[in-house]
Amino acid sequence: MNMTFQEKSAWGSLLALGLVSYWYFPAAFAAAGNNGAAADLIAISIGCVVALVIIEIVYHVIIASRGGGAKDERDVFINIKAERVAGFVLGIGLFTLVGRIIAIEAIEAITPVETMGALTIAVWILFVLTVAEISKLASQVWYYRAGA
Amino acid sequence: MAKTHVRNNIRTLRFQHGEMTQQALAEKVGVTRQTIVAIEKEKYSPSLEAAFKIAAVFGEPLDAVFSYEPGSR
Repeated sequence: MNMTFQEKSAWGSLLALGLVSYWYFPAAFAAAGNNGAAADLIAISIGCVVALVIIEIVYHVIIASRGGGAKDERDVFINIKAERVAGFVLGIGLFTLVGRIIAIEAIEAITPVETMGALTIAVWILFVLTVAEISKLASQVWYYRAGA
Repeated sequence: MAKTHVRNNIRTLRFQHGEMTQQALAEKVGVTRQTIVAIEKEKYSPSLEAAFKIAAVFGEPLDAVFSYEPGSR
C-alpha cells in the first residue's frame, strides 16, 4: 500500500487511540462508578495519556524517518471533510448525553433511580470526544483510500 | 468515491514530455505523488493554483490541460 505521511499518520493515530480507548474506558467507567475513586480515575487517565503520547511519538518518528511530512492541499481538503464528520458525531453524542442526563433527572423526580455522578458524566464526555476523534481519523483513512 | 467533473489530459501530457513520472510532476507542482494520482484519476479536483502550476509544468494553457464536464450532481 502506497501511502503519504499524512495517511500513515492517520492510520497510526486511529489504531493507537482505538487500542488505548479499548483499555481506558472500561477501567475509567468502573473507577468513576466507584464513589470516592477520583484518584483511581486520575491515575488511569494519566497512564493512558502517557501511553498514547509515547505510542504516537515513537510511531511518528519511525514514519518521519522514511520521508515525507509536509501537508499538501489534498491533505488539507481531506482533513476539512473529516473534521465535518467529527463535528457531526460530537454534536450527536453530546446532545444524546445531555438528553440522557435530563431524562434520568426527570425520572428521578418521579421515582428513585440511580443518577450519574459528576465523574461518570466527565468520563462520558471524554468518551464522546474520543469517538468524535476516532470518527475523524477513520474518515481521513476512508477518504485517502477512496482516492479523494 | 465518485469522479469529479473536472477532466484532464495529464497522463497524455506526461507521455508527451518524455514519460515524466508522477513523482517528478508532483515535485514540480509541490504536492505528493498520491495527489497527482488522484487528480489524474479525476477523483480529486485540484485547486486553481495547483491547476495553473500543472499547466505551467507542461507549458500549456490551463484549458489545454483541464476541462469541465457538467454533470447531474
